[in-house]
Amino acid sequence: MAYKLILVPLAGSAVDPDVVRLAVTIAKPSKAQIVGVHVIEVRWNMALDAVLEAELDKGETLLAAAAAVAQQAGGHMDTELLQAREASAAIIDTARERGADLVLMGMPYRKRLGRVSVGRTVEEVYLGAPCAVLAYRQEEPG
Amino acid sequence: MSDERDEPTLEQRIERPGRRIGDRYVRIVRPPEFRRGRGGTYVATPEALAPRTGSGRFYDSLRRLVFGRPLTSESEGAERLSKKTGLGVLASDNISSSAYATEEAMRILALAGASALALTMPVAIAIAVVLAVVVLSQTQVIRTYPGGGGSYAVAKGELGMAAGVVVASALLLDYVLTVAVSIAAGVAAIGSFVPAVYDDRVVWGLALIALLAVGNLRGIREAGIIFSAPTYVYLVAMAGMLAYGIARVVLGDVPAAAAPPTPFSGGATEALTVFLILRAFASGSVALTGAEAVANGTPSLKPPEARNGVITVLLMGTFFGTIFLGITFLATRIGALPDVHEAETLNSVLTRSLVGVGPYYYLVQVSTAVLLILAANTGFTGFPRLASVLADDRFMPRQFAFRGERLAFSTGIVALAVVAAVVLVAFGGSVTALIPLYTIGVFLAFTLAQSGLLRRWYRRRERGWQARMVLNGVGATATGVTLVVVATTKFTHGAWIVLLVLPLLVLLLFSINKHYRSVADALTVEDLDEELPRSEPPLVVVPVARLDRAALRALAFASSMSPDVRAVHIATSEASAAEFRLRWDRWLGKRVAADREIRLDLIQSPFRALLQPLLRYIDRISEQEPGPVTVLLAEYVPRRWWEFILHSQTALRLKAALLFRPDTVVIDVPYHFRSDLDVRPRRSATAGNGAKVPRGGPPT
Repeated sequence: MAYKLILVPLAGSAVDPDVVRLAVTIAKPSKAQIVGVHVIEVRWNMALDAVLEAELDKGETLLAAAAAVAQQAGGHMDTELLQAREASAAIIDTARERGADLVLMGMPYRKRLGRVSVGRTVEEVYLGAPCAVLAYRQEEPG
Repeated sequence: MSDERDEPTLEQRIERPGRRIGDRYVRIVRPPEFRRGRGGTYVATPEALAPRTGSGRFYDSLRRLVFGRPLTSESEGAERLSKKTGLGVLASDNISSSAYATEEAMRILALAGASALALTMPVAIAIAVVLAVVVLSQTQVIRTYPGGGGSYAVAKGELGMAAGVVVASALLLDYVLTVAVSIAAGVAAIGSFVPAVYDDRVVWGLALIALLAVGNLRGIREAGIIFSAPTYVYLVAMAGMLAYGIARVVLGDVPAAAAPPTPFSGGATEALTVFLILRAFASGSVALTGAEAVANGTPSLKPPEARNGVITVLLMGTFFGTIFLGITFLATRIGALPDVHEAETLNSVLTRSLVGVGPYYYLVQVSTAVLLILAANTGFTGFPRLASVLADDRFMPRQFAFRGERLAFSTGIVALAVVAAVVLVAFGGSVTALIPLYTIGVFLAFTLAQSGLLRRWYRRRERGWQARMVLNGVGATATGVTLVVVATTKFTHGAWIVLLVLPLLVLLLFSINKHYRSVADALTVEDLDEELPRSEPPLVVVPVARLDRAALRALAFASSMSPDVRAVHIATSEASAAEFRLRWDRWLGKRVAADREIRLDLIQSPFRALLQPLLRYIDRISEQEPGPVTVLLAEYVPRRWWEFILHSQTALRLKAALLFRPDTVVIDVPYHFRSDLDVRPRRSATAGNGAKVPRGGPPT
């Protein structure tokens, strides 16, 4: 399948480099554009467009690191920084607005109550995104 | 808790409606040329450096090809040298001296005939003793100043800035000579087995200097393995050859000496005097050059830096001493003679005598040549670093402290390459001609550094100070005596040049420092509570050549910044002046800004000169009005570079003429020609200050 735009939500977890490399691999045959997106979740007691220094620093750093990983893998990744009340809604709306044909999400290996936890954001994007969604779960730590 | 700040200037926050009510989100649009750094700062990205024009992109890609892509400041310091690589990188200069030290001593002794060559070994032993003293003294320098800087840091710290500057000047000269001598010796080593190189040795030398300069501008200094490998290849090759040679001598199988193309005749041209022996000692003392490199580069070693530095310098001394004495022993026992015209090195003659011309001979010669050429790199490492330290201390121009795109001190590298190339050309690429200039600087630096440490131990009287005083006292004496010997015995052979240039360089550095201090005194804001100086609207002079759009924009801008604007037009005749007045009254007149009048001064220049009457006019105006005068220039900027030659560029010439005029502010108002906007006639447009100004007429 030929993709034009692959959206890669990034949260700064250990799975990010794997997801970026996978995105580059998928994008290469069709020369698809890759957009890495990080959403800063703003609490309800703050203005939506508040300038949150620490979160912005973290977001910029992880996006720069992801772009570097993409470059090392032989691809290029544009980056987008968003602020929203809920990350999943912003990812879904960005995918719709930009006409993404694939959202590639990473799931760090986490367990809750003895079961692997998918995470709220992944679940909601999986259910609500207008395009194809591919979830990459990190392997079980040895 | 998150810290909130105002919206940064370069970011845009665009609110987007979500799919559902309450799903609004904010896109933070950042310019690609800048990314957000820590603490609310911006960091320029590679896009900020990207050229915008086609020619700019071409030049940029060419530069990337030669010098590599830019490195960020964070890339520095990631790599530290282990003892093994440290020995290879920092000791290469000293160890490579063993390739020519024996030969240089022999060349002097040979002047007194073949029998005098028997003194080569005693002279070499004397040099080895001085080397041992210097190496042990260097261990003290490293332990006391593990932060690097070597003799400069010691002299500056213990004897004061004046001594530091003398040492720095001596070392700067020596770094230049390190490059010139090592390159000349490297070319000579190649010339020994590729005779064609000998004829064009200056050209080859220049090419190698250029290659090293480009390599260093790319930042090859970090490539430890590349630089350490030739040292080890040389050490192994020489160790094998010396072991084989000594074994043959011990077993009584002394080989016959091979003859160079033009060997010394064996006849005496000078008498064997103490002075000649001292001269041979001075020439052989070139062996000690590069011994300071480890102390200078200690911070680049892995921790514990001081301990690793001491081990490295001791290993360096041991390896060098073994090879130097080994070569001298074999050369004297076999009876190898140097070539009169330097067409073949003693090293080559000795290797040929022992192993013949075969693979091992080429291994020794190639490794020697590569090591010598890379030893020149010690100069390229040391000179720019020392120059940057001096620039930080305001003894050298600021440019020497700036790092280029590849984190290299580009100005220092280029300056060194140019000066070393001039020296190489001036001395015809001859090692023997260059040697008399060498070593004075390094021995002066050693002597002052040892004296500085001597003073330190005496003043501080720390634990074990007596032993240290003895060590550094012996070191200061030995290097001081050697300095005197070198300076006197080589004076007429070229050392006078260094003895002349050195004080001039010291004076130059002090003059630079004096200038920077006076500038700092004038510019430094001592009290940060000091209020901004009050400034009245300036008197603005706008030279107008033609009443065109460029002039209109400049006049509009001038009237937006001051109520006192004088337009001045230089006319070549009375008729053209009258015509300009007419156009001024009709076209522009007092309508640029309704509330501000622009005075027009018309000057006739019957000699058709433009600049001089304008400059005199500005002189007279500024005499009438105290305070700075502002000259606002309307400058038409063509779209393509070649279109510049179609315009007179008067504004450019005027800017150059006003550059050094005191109390003059020059403001350039460029007018960029854009065909899509400017060719169409328009009825009116808005000027820079918002005032409506009439438009019309063709663009100039």
